Amino acid sequence: MKRRSFIKGTFALATIGLLNPVLFRHGLLAEEAVEMPFKELLDEYVRGKKVEDGAALMTLNIPDAPENGAVVPIEVTVNYPMNPDDYISNITVLTTKNKANKAISFDLTPANGIAYLFVNVKMGQTQDVVILAQTNKGRIFKASKNVRVALGGCG
Amino acid sequence: MELRGVVKILDQNYKVGDVVKAKIIVIHKMDTGFTKDKESGKQFPRFYMKEITATYNGSVIAHFDLDVATSQNPVIQFPLKVTGPGELVVDFVNSEDEKGQKKVAIVPAA
Repeated sequence: MKRRSFIKGTFALATIGLLNPVLFRHGLLAEEAVEMPFKELLDEYVRGKKVEDGAALMTLNIPDAPENGAVVPIEVTVNYPMNPDDYISNITVLTTKNKANKAISFDLTPANGIAYLFVNVKMGQTQDVVILAQTNKGRIFKASKNVRVALGGCG
Repeated sequence: MELRGVVKILDQNYKVGDVVKAKIIVIHKMDTGFTKDKESGKQFPRFYMKEITATYNGSVIAHFDLDVATSQNPVIQFPLKVTGPGELVVDFVNSEDEKGQKKVAIVPAA
């Protein structure tokens, strides 16, 4: 009995020891490339709610044809009051034709004062940038802009 | 290894009640996992900046979830309403749970 449990224990330790560097140090799942289609990401964000057109509400400062697709500056200002009980709680920037389309999700609080975000995004080809803004009460606004990319960044 | 980054306030001579912009730059690769090394043909593993959290005087005011479509060495600007003198603390976490922290003092003009 003792010998049996001893052998089992050694085997278990050896297995953990072998897997350990792969599984825990790097994280097996984190290293694998994950495709994130635009439609899935949009559905996950919207979750069946109504999406309102936010083109009049948002001021976008995005170049029409950036020099390099690897660094496309995206500047968004959502003209929505940031009252403590009614404010923009999230701004998400998505692309439409990259392999992985999620760029950034920004959670805001009324302490930010205004709803503004600047971020650099990678783009593999000519496509749309979609900006989604959500209020704390669940209203979703969407605005998009087509960006012509001549030299693609590895998207 | 501690992650390298920069945090600064872009505006100068701000007062209490003003909205200022803060800028975060993190020196970090954003490998998507799809690209290959040209010489060896080996795929680069997915390795990216995951989370950035900004805390101002003890309360979290901004939280960013980044993903692989953000550019290499991510640059982010976000607004901040000055409520008094204090410190803006920014924490970075990457996809391998390595951490970094940067602080900047907020000193409104009297």
